[in-house]
Amino acid sequence: MSINIRCAKPEDLMNMQHCNLLCLPENYQMKYYFYHGLSWPQLSYVAEDEKRKIVGYVLAKMEEDPDEAPHGHITSLAVKRSYRRLGLAQKLMDQASRAMVENFNAKYVSLHVRKSNRAALNLYQTTLKFTISEIEPKYYADGEDAYAMRRDLGDFMDQLKKVHDGNAVTNSAVATTS
Amino acid sequence: MLTPAQWCGRRHLASFRHRVVLLCPVRPFFLVPRLLTAPPAMASTPLPPKENALFKRILKCYEQKQYKNGLKFCKQILGNPKYSEHGETLAMKGLTLNCLGRKEEAYEYVRRGLRNDLKSHVCWHVFGLLQRSDKKYDEAIKCYRNALKWDKDNLQILRDLSLLQIQMRDLEGYRDTRLQLLQLRPAQRASWIGYAIAYHLLKDYDMALKILEEFRKTQAVKTVEYEHSELLLYMMMIMKEAGMEEQALKHLETYDKQICDVLEVQENKGDLLLKLGRNDESAAIYRELLRRNPENRKYYQGIEAANPPKTEEERLDLYSQTAAQFPRCQSAIRLPLDFTTGETFERLADQYMRKALKKGVPPLFNNLRAMYPDKDKVAIIERLMLGYQESLKTAEKFNPNDEGEPQPPTAYLWVLYYLAQHFDYLGDTTKALGYIESAIEHTPTLIELFVAKARIYKHAGDIEEAARWMDEAQSRDTADRYINSKCGKYMLRAGKVKEAEEMCSKFTREGVSAMENLNEMQCMWFQSECAGAYRQLTQYGEALKKCHEVERHFQEIVEDQFDFHTYCMRKMTLRAYISLLRLEDIIRKHPFYFKAAKLALETYIHLVDHPLTDEDKAKDLELENLSPKELKKLRSKQRRAAKKAAILEEKKHQQEMQQQKGKRKDPDTEQDGPKEDDLVPEKLAKVENPLDEAMKFLKPIQMFAHERIETHLLAFEVYYRRGKLLLMLQAVKRAVTLDPNSAWLHECLVRFSKAVSEKNNLPGPVSTVLKEETKALFGEVDIKQFNANFIKRNSNSLQHLLAGAKMLYFLDPQSQDRALELATDLSENLIDRNVKICIKVYEALSSGAFGKCEEQTETYKTQCHQIFPFARVFMPPKSESDTVTQEDGQQDGQTDGQDGHPEVDANGS
Repeated sequence: MSINIRCAKPEDLMNMQHCNLLCLPENYQMKYYFYHGLSWPQLSYVAEDEKRKIVGYVLAKMEEDPDEAPHGHITSLAVKRSYRRLGLAQKLMDQASRAMVENFNAKYVSLHVRKSNRAALNLYQTTLKFTISEIEPKYYADGEDAYAMRRDLGDFMDQLKKVHDGNAVTNSAVATTS
Repeated sequence: MLTPAQWCGRRHLASFRHRVVLLCPVRPFFLVPRLLTAPPAMASTPLPPKENALFKRILKCYEQKQYKNGLKFCKQILGNPKYSEHGETLAMKGLTLNCLGRKEEAYEYVRRGLRNDLKSHVCWHVFGLLQRSDKKYDEAIKCYRNALKWDKDNLQILRDLSLLQIQMRDLEGYRDTRLQLLQLRPAQRASWIGYAIAYHLLKDYDMALKILEEFRKTQAVKTVEYEHSELLLYMMMIMKEAGMEEQALKHLETYDKQICDVLEVQENKGDLLLKLGRNDESAAIYRELLRRNPENRKYYQGIEAANPPKTEEERLDLYSQTAAQFPRCQSAIRLPLDFTTGETFERLADQYMRKALKKGVPPLFNNLRAMYPDKDKVAIIERLMLGYQESLKTAEKFNPNDEGEPQPPTAYLWVLYYLAQHFDYLGDTTKALGYIESAIEHTPTLIELFVAKARIYKHAGDIEEAARWMDEAQSRDTADRYINSKCGKYMLRAGKVKEAEEMCSKFTREGVSAMENLNEMQCMWFQSECAGAYRQLTQYGEALKKCHEVERHFQEIVEDQFDFHTYCMRKMTLRAYISLLRLEDIIRKHPFYFKAAKLALETYIHLVDHPLTDEDKAKDLELENLSPKELKKLRSKQRRAAKKAAILEEKKHQQEMQQQKGKRKDPDTEQDGPKEDDLVPEKLAKVENPLDEAMKFLKPIQMFAHERIETHLLAFEVYYRRGKLLLMLQAVKRAVTLDPNSAWLHECLVRFSKAVSEKNNLPGPVSTVLKEETKALFGEVDIKQFNANFIKRNSNSLQHLLAGAKMLYFLDPQSQDRALELATDLSENLIDRNVKICIKVYEALSSGAFGKCEEQTETYKTQCHQIFPFARVFMPPKSESDTVTQEDGQQDGQTDGQDGHPEVDANGS
């Protein structure tokens, strides 16, 4: 069987934590995963193998600052090294981004990346069309700076509509975007 | 709002709770329980105005977490001899002290307060809050109930009570409390929702829906609004659970425009239409969903279920179309490999593999591995791959007759990489190593190759060498935590705890030990692997500590849900909330729990069979050749180390307490009693009755992992050592229903039968039951014959032969020769003559399961070395003194083997 991509359920959160601990230096306790899963159940996605083991995930949220335009934020994105080059990260991100627009009317999605993480930076810039919005000095605990990045979701949704000939996107937030 | 740096920054991870509070947009996540909504007018000992004002300030201080100030005001009231025994003030002083981490005093004051004013709802409420913070939820419920006796409509107490009831799953109680809350506050949304949830959980779907519908009617909705959308979807969820498909579909159609979760609507429509037999409409929905996400298997399945294809060709169409439409889609080209066969399969596999090899997709083998149980497909894949290899080597093409450009040189590399993994899977270590070496020669910089090499050695039974190669891989990309984790895992498998910890520490927070940080981050894979390593090293106390740490994570995860009871009602994410409750009910079903519980049980069983004093003696024997002086030195060094560890532990504990004080937001969840906190390895290993401790791990797996045969066999091992015949019977009976022919079960059955036959003077009814049941289990044959039949029946399976042989010797030590002959069979027609099983045989031989048999053991070892030249256990010692490596090699596989078997002395205890 192939890798399956679907919206994360509460049952997946523990396995996402496991995947996160294997792959990334920024870790969180379970409660933080629950917080995501129970605040924005539509926004996190997982990629699972034939044994239903999680090989990649995106953990996402909304930033609900009334002074800013509604936008999503990628808390964490990881794909196991043994499952790279299948395009999973992009697929996960696209699904999450679309859900942000449909459910929460997100205008853009933001994330942070370590300045030294060339591979990730390249992925975000080239493949996922993020641009650097600012540099956040000493963002990480070890003193490293972060690039704050953004991707405009208006363009993304326009493109989706083209691909789908306007078929799939039928109602709700997308249509009612004011 | 915190800055994002504080969110993700590693230094802040420890204080995660703290951050959540500040981040929650609407209201704090952790509401400090509002003690009183009204001033304590009902107080049975009224204070004069001045003191009453002070008392109000105490309450305020508590709410605002100004505990020191609160205590000051307490002193001002209690300092007055007239009011020195004022119950409510004493109680509040206790509660405030609790927040400062002074639990014992807290209990003292609260109890004294309560004694002085038994009719005060404040005192009872405070006592309830204290118990709740101590996680004594049942006790807290009682206190709240008492408080309500004296103030039956106190909203805050009712709310607190309802939280405890849902946390404890007292659903009827919850329903009643929610009804009271609804009656008191009918205008609040949460009142309606909470009441409906109660009925939903009680499976009274009609009532739940009625309540929600009543509430929905009051809502004026003009635009799409997330919370309302969630409410509508929650109603749909209940309808589906109630089996009201028609109504659920109608509901979705009616409110389509008010729901923003498009995906949920579509997925459910597809499902409901299918259930209602409206297949074409269902298929249309699934096709739309496929356009949305062509990597979701469920959608292909939905289309196929709605319009079952008649032929393989027809079935293939859907996938070819999708693949054409979405060139980047993997599922559409991968899934057909599962259902096609023969020539079609070969054609598709050929296309699929060429594409991946050309592009360079490292996980190609991972993607195809699932079909390896199918021998025909494996043969086709092997033929194709070997063909590519031959042709790429000479002609730079997948097939010499291919037209067009030559393939990139990396294609050849990926073929070699694939073949190495392929032959590793098939157990052909020599070939696998050959291909991986060629690959490394081709491209010495590709890290994946070293990972593969490490895996090959692991599978071949040489975990030391495996860990060495994983370390090599890791050293070539030290920024990648995944490889780092794998390396740590391999080191643990090799019993190198210190090295592993050091390895993992490259990615843990600075300033704390890696062990501590990994525990804090609930890194359970590490902890259970670590437990396995310690057990291997016979450091049983340390092993148990790790298992208990995992158990505590689960406790914590259960407690995590507490705050979501209020939070989700506010956020209206009710579907997710219900799923969370259901998840928490079975959280110990998670494989992480099972793994830790199994390790703990095996360790406790070992401690029963080999009480620690013996262990110590054995160690003393090892130390015999040290001079008394050296020995003394060693001992005092050990003592110093232990002391140091104890001091460190204590310090750490104090620090934690300090930290908690500093960051305390919530007196409820942060208050761990000091005794509970320390897991001391020495104490864990020297526990008075290991079998009682074992029960703590056994019960949850009996409840949640009853579908695993190992659960019941572990249960048997525990009951066997407790001499509980009826419980042994229950365990083997459960196991029989899962797999009557399991090798380990067979051993249990034989030992059970012997235990029964040896037990005299059982009470009449017990004896009758046992007689009846053993007849059902063993038939009319005697136990020796039963064993003989088992051996005969399983003559081509080594693990069964081993079990049979062990029992043969167990029942009759005279049959040692025959038993050894059976167990040491190495003929090629045995279906499971592999490294893992042969190591088990060797371990059984060495452990005395067959009595004294050194000569045969040595011969067996030599024979196995010839068959499995890479397995470290079977290697002849390099030199006289170099026996250490041998011991080190004996471990692999045990921890993750499906029927991993505790080292059980057949004679029991």
